[in-house]
Amino acid sequence: MIRFAQAGKTYRSLVRRREITALAGLDLEIARGEVVGIAGPNGAGKSTLISLLLGFLAPSEGSVTLEGLAPRRYVERHGVGYLTELVNLPGQWRVQDALHRLAILAGVPAAARRGRVADTMARLGIEEHATKKIKQLSKGNLQRVGLGQALLGEFDLVVLDEPTHGLDPVWTARFRDIVVELRRPDRAILIASHNLDELEMLADRVAILDHGRLQRVVGHATEASDASVSWRLVLEGDDDIGAAMPGAVPIAGRPGSWRVLAPRAAMSRQLAALLQSGAVLVECVPEQGRLASAFREAVRQ
Amino acid sequence: MTRDTSPFRYLLVQALDLARAQLLLFVVVSAGLAGVIWKIFGDDVGRAFDAADMVGALLAGTLLIAILMAAGGVAGTDIKQGYYRALFSKPMAPWWFYLQRWLLGGLVVLTIPVWLGLAFAVAFGKGTGLSAEVFGVVALSYLLIGGAVLLFSTLTSRDWLVAFLLYFLQARLHDAEQIFTAMSRDVPAAVAFALKVLPPFDLVSARAPLPSGGDLAHVLLYGAGMVAAALLLLRFRPLGSGGRA
Repeated sequence: MIRFAQAGKTYRSLVRRREITALAGLDLEIARGEVVGIAGPNGAGKSTLISLLLGFLAPSEGSVTLEGLAPRRYVERHGVGYLTELVNLPGQWRVQDALHRLAILAGVPAAARRGRVADTMARLGIEEHATKKIKQLSKGNLQRVGLGQALLGEFDLVVLDEPTHGLDPVWTARFRDIVVELRRPDRAILIASHNLDELEMLADRVAILDHGRLQRVVGHATEASDASVSWRLVLEGDDDIGAAMPGAVPIAGRPGSWRVLAPRAAMSRQLAALLQSGAVLVECVPEQGRLASAFREAVRQ
Repeated sequence: MTRDTSPFRYLLVQALDLARAQLLLFVVVSAGLAGVIWKIFGDDVGRAFDAADMVGALLAGTLLIAILMAAGGVAGTDIKQGYYRALFSKPMAPWWFYLQRWLLGGLVVLTIPVWLGLAFAVAFGKGTGLSAEVFGVVALSYLLIGGAVLLFSTLTSRDWLVAFLLYFLQARLHDAEQIFTAMSRDVPAAVAFALKVLPPFDLVSARAPLPSGGDLAHVLLYGAGMVAAALLLLRFRPLGSGGRA
């Protein structure tokens, strides 16, 4: 559905002729039915990628197509459910009015419009703010309005830029449910986020950007390299774990707790030996998600 | 979901926005002006001038501001504030959206003589003073000044200010040209060139007859050219260009 072919964007200042490459040589394809995450540090090129995708910027090199069409042509023909990183709507609009206006633009038929707006407000828990002006909303409520307007049109492409920015933990969890509900075989969902746990839970694949370049794409099939995952082990009854598991480091202030950085297979063998010799396993958890590990590898932090 | 694909689906919203703000203001100001003149001068004004003179004089003084208010700060504000991201991720072309808004603004401005005329008819009982020529002047003024505002709105949110400064500059250059001509001196080449390339605002005035012939063609082509240029920019220049992504 979406195809970035060697796509890049370089900003050029008019006066000093300075050039800043925000994105370079991006090759990425996203199919219908996929949920794809975009991760990267600040300034990695995530927002530029989204602007190119929606035709708000033109690529300086390469091409971006949606269903074979230029981005603007696709968007103007089909529309995209788009939540911006910073939700920008005229401050004097009231919440219900804003959603009503954007429902009209989204092409929601007149007969269904009132119901669609009401359902959206209920889904996002903003009915009590319906008559408030946009400028009176808290960050979290504004984010929910932004998410609501993105969902009004039931589009085949949904793009969510930092969707849980400003949401409290309850609504962050609710957002995850909403994305799960949004999944459809004919719909592609793109989520740009700093929240790696969130992407790991929701996305089929995550593209990791750094310095304007695609560093790697992490999917269920190609997870972070095994050896990069750090495990926290808590064992009772054996004081010599360090000798039995090369690379195990005691965690300061936590007796019996060890940090192990080792491939799963090797760690399993060593752990089995320890358990056979009488040790009792209390806890064995990855210290960071696979995506976080892959992210650290990709951006070399 | 069946989608409402009518290109006019947002027109009513834009019309209501204009009615609630600019149109209401124009009605109130028109009534207020007639009321103030009636209060200060009473029937003397009614005896001394006919309604057409009064409407013409007031239009000459208010039309520029009215047009800047009706056409200004629309596309430019949406682009600068980033509202365009929510608006134009929907299936709607920016050029078409702003063309509709601009045309509605023109319709609202065209009602100004009506409100002025009605207000004076009520206050002085000497008719509305309306004529096809009055509406022609308003329409041509909107095409030129409103067209300039629309063009600049693709580049800046201060579109109305740039258009106003351009109008002011052209008026002063035109004054200078007339002074040189009256003094039987050659108009400096720079002034003559500037007057050639700037919009011919001086050709349309509520105090003068409608332009005709070559002047009318000049006004129409220049105004339509600015509108067309604005629409082309909205169509082909990505809205996030110029550091607004």
